[in-house]
Amino acid sequence: MSSIQLLNPKADVSRHSQALSININGARGLQDVLKTNLGPKGTYKMLISGAGDIKITKDGNVLLHEMQIQHPTANLIAKASTAQNDQTGDGTTSTVLLIGELLRQAEIHISDGLHPRVVTDGFDLAKKKALEVLNKFKISQKEYNKEVLLNVSKTALKTKTSRKLADQLAEICVEAVNIIKDDSNKVDLHMIEIMQMQHRSENDSQLIRGLVLDHGARHPDMKKSVTNAFILTCNVSLEYEKTTVNAGFFYKTAEEREKLVSAEREFIDRRVQKIIDLKKAVCTDSSKNFVVINQQGIDPASLDMLAKAGIVAIRRAKRRNMERLTLACGGQPVNSFENLNASVLGYAGQVYEYVLGEEKFTFIEDVKDPKSATILLKAPTKFALNQLKDSIYDGLRAIKNVLSDQSVVPGAGAFEIAAYHELTKYEQTIKGKARIGVRAFADALLIIPKTLASNAGYDAQDAMVKLLAEKDSQVPVGINLETGDAADAEVLGVYDNFVVKQQLLESCNMIACNLLLVDEMMKAGLTSLKGPE
Amino acid sequence: MREIVTIQVGNYANFIGSHFWNFQDELLGLAESPESDQVFKNHSLDMDVLYRTGETQQGLLTYTPRMVSVNFQGSLGSVSSRGSLYNQTPAKSLDVMTWKGKVTTHASEPLRRNLFLQSLSEEEQELVGQANDLDNVNNNSQAEIQDKDIVECLESDVQYWTDFSKVHYHPQSLYELSGLWADQDFDNYGLGKEAFCGHQHGEEIDDRLRFFIEECDHIQGIQCVVDDSGGFSGLSAMFLESIADEYPNVPVLLYNARNPSLHMDSKGRKQAISRNLHDAVSFSRLSELCKLIIPVGLPSLSGSRASQFLSIKDEKPYHSSAVYASALHSFSLPFRMKQSGPSAESICTSGALDMYGIVQMLAGQTRQNMVTILDVAMPAPSLSDRAQQSFLGNLQPLTPDVAADVEDFHAVETMSIHGAVTSGSQRASINEVKDAVEAAYDNSVTRPKFSHLSASTCPLPIPLPFPLIFGKMVGQHGELLETPISGSSYRGSLEVHSIPMATRLRSSTAVLPFLESKLGNLRRFGIERGALGAPLLQSWGFGKDEVEDLGEVLSKMVMTLKPYPQYSSDSD
Repeated sequence: MSSIQLLNPKADVSRHSQALSININGARGLQDVLKTNLGPKGTYKMLISGAGDIKITKDGNVLLHEMQIQHPTANLIAKASTAQNDQTGDGTTSTVLLIGELLRQAEIHISDGLHPRVVTDGFDLAKKKALEVLNKFKISQKEYNKEVLLNVSKTALKTKTSRKLADQLAEICVEAVNIIKDDSNKVDLHMIEIMQMQHRSENDSQLIRGLVLDHGARHPDMKKSVTNAFILTCNVSLEYEKTTVNAGFFYKTAEEREKLVSAEREFIDRRVQKIIDLKKAVCTDSSKNFVVINQQGIDPASLDMLAKAGIVAIRRAKRRNMERLTLACGGQPVNSFENLNASVLGYAGQVYEYVLGEEKFTFIEDVKDPKSATILLKAPTKFALNQLKDSIYDGLRAIKNVLSDQSVVPGAGAFEIAAYHELTKYEQTIKGKARIGVRAFADALLIIPKTLASNAGYDAQDAMVKLLAEKDSQVPVGINLETGDAADAEVLGVYDNFVVKQQLLESCNMIACNLLLVDEMMKAGLTSLKGPE
Repeated sequence: MREIVTIQVGNYANFIGSHFWNFQDELLGLAESPESDQVFKNHSLDMDVLYRTGETQQGLLTYTPRMVSVNFQGSLGSVSSRGSLYNQTPAKSLDVMTWKGKVTTHASEPLRRNLFLQSLSEEEQELVGQANDLDNVNNNSQAEIQDKDIVECLESDVQYWTDFSKVHYHPQSLYELSGLWADQDFDNYGLGKEAFCGHQHGEEIDDRLRFFIEECDHIQGIQCVVDDSGGFSGLSAMFLESIADEYPNVPVLLYNARNPSLHMDSKGRKQAISRNLHDAVSFSRLSELCKLIIPVGLPSLSGSRASQFLSIKDEKPYHSSAVYASALHSFSLPFRMKQSGPSAESICTSGALDMYGIVQMLAGQTRQNMVTILDVAMPAPSLSDRAQQSFLGNLQPLTPDVAADVEDFHAVETMSIHGAVTSGSQRASINEVKDAVEAAYDNSVTRPKFSHLSASTCPLPIPLPFPLIFGKMVGQHGELLETPISGSSYRGSLEVHSIPMATRLRSSTAVLPFLESKLGNLRRFGIERGALGAPLLQSWGFGKDEVEDLGEVLSKMVMTLKPYPQYSSDSD
């Protein structure tokens, strides 16, 4: 201690109880901010920046990033919450709430003179037990069950959008995942494109079985809509350019230079000609069409040639769309035009362009057996679009989690209640002071149902009494937010992800223990933590 | 026409960019204004190279920079990240239709717009008012904002780069890294790498760039302005990496600059090591990812010879960035000149070059050196006989750690001179410029192996929002006066309307001290056994091998320039 001050006399040092109270205050501060977000009855926050930019969110993770968090403890918790989001896509608000509550419960006992180490020992025991309970509590979903998936994604979406919209979006999410999942139920969510269109009313959001690109053909003579189209997906430059290797042109006269330039041009023209030849070979009658989608550039001269041959060409497609395209339409992406033949072509029944101001969208629809899909979101404002996008992500992640966990957990606070009961029983079996920590952990878990109840406008204590009274119930008891009474979570159709709860228990316990065990805090170099006093 | 897409990463880079686009906007304005000088009306510069034509959902045409800016959250001050051109309904529909529950509003105090921004929006309202022929009374009653007040207000208080920007940007242009605030710790390479990967920032930024590139029929290259003093260099490296991946044939020209005020605070030894390592790592990484790198950023711009006719306050980014932006404008002018055939000579421009051409010229010839020194004469001296001797001498480097008086017989350089004057404020013709430069080379002691000249009659226009940085020797048209003007020693846009500029990019051994110091620092703090900074590099995500690779890149650059390669691994 004194040695530290020897090294840096300006360092600001906080010790023992002081350090602890800094940590606890930070955690509780965050908890207060995010508390009102939790659950389907939580509150949306509309953030208006100094420049008038609007963002609306209810997502704990987004909010944490919008706040300029200065407090180091709060910063640490925010990181845990971000990790929760990255791993599971949900439970960010719960993370903050649970860490805050764990610290609050611990504080009660520590101020009575209990050593923090004893508390954390209890926490660790309780966490292990709670994970056991979670494993017993989960409901296995080995088979693909649309009903359950719908409920899970509705549970996630209802916390973010209105009931009616949630039902609609949940259908879209489940359908989208159904399209992209492979035989072993593996899901790569990147294969779902989410496209935003700022337009009309948001109930227009829809699932496109196929792909929507956010750009269109760049030649006035190309058709705006074609049917019965072959799709060539390629990654080949159709742009005249000087070679990028360090070899300049060497020429003596202007004519010689012209000749070299035209030779280069011819090189590109030959590539274009190969596409045109292929088109002529496959489009045997006028009802068939041909669309080229290139990841690299296509210059005006090439576009011109293609347009004359009746081919629709789209350039600079997103890298990820190259993969999605072949999954949606079939065919193979082509990196060179050597041996170009019909086997690499995909097919789409309809390809058409939609123009909105300067924005162009190209719809590729009516495809056979798509393995990729697009969710098209429409809303009148940019902030509403972003809100929809965040919600859709949550809905998709929830479904993906079920498929990879092969299980779900009854929601509406049912798990926390069940774990509380089990932990109070478990507490009796533990000898020594660690049982106080177990007790504290059990109490802290109740913050989730309590907050759900109070956000819905019910008295948290009343609700707890009602819920805990159903102790001997055989069904998972959760809170019905419409009535404030206890109810069977499965009947309510509220399901959470197993992995979310698991991660929540692990990370909250870890962060809380780390914070509790801090008994000295030193801050040097930057301005003081406590500010001017 | 060959398009250029501009990228600005980091706060200081956006300061430079803001000045740069102000110049372009001024050029556009002057070309249309009936009162302006002939050189502005007919400059034969193709602005479409930098700008794009668009259309709002209401069908109004727009003309906006083809640019992607990346910066901290909240760094846009009172300007909305979506710009103001594409706002359809002035934010009246605040009700949330997607949510039936409770909504609470947390509004930050609206940031006060400074006098300049107020006057801009007033001007626009006036235009609308005139078109609709209403509310004229209302406008007249408001006190006119005087230009003088605006200049003074900007002089005393510029906090954000948007404070002095008069340009409308496309909604896709301005990207804020949400969750990353300016007051956060963001001062090293490692942090920037993380920031790019987190929160899908990387993907979103790539998408923004793709939006602009997809529109280009035939892109000539990407000019990238990077503030490489902190985390933004790591972020840019990641960004450039994905560009190299996605657009392998598009040349990237990197202009990395830094704020002189940063150099002023020197903290403890640990900080110094971190700083030195950061500089070495970021330079090595960034140079790998572009075709030509132009490092600028003097530790003290005010005391440098490059600003001998200017009075700069180093602590103000508003000041120093104006100089770097002017230089950027000058050396990038040839990209916009119309390529004329060998026989037809334009009377306004000569020596057009595309980005590929400049890369070939400087870095692609016998010596493959892609680190380029930028020299500037701001304002350029007159071409009259007496001053000719000093013409080359007036070009002073903006690149730090450059050796003076180096005899390099293999040097390659390209000069860009625009708006040059002969005696008095007489504009020089293109041929006069050519002759003067030729004469200057003849009189100088050493002559580069190869040189190229781009010239234009159009000087650098000084827009209203420009700092008071001109000294007493600079006249109204940027000519250097014989006798200093009496009165205030700080002169800005009201007194000086345009200036002639000369810049020179050179590939020369003079850059060796710069490279060697980077290499030396990397070896001393990062590679040597027991190096103090090794754990630091590890925390930035560089394994031992990767650090050695970085060193390899730097030592290769040094070796290219050294006639006798004796600099091989002497660290063992």
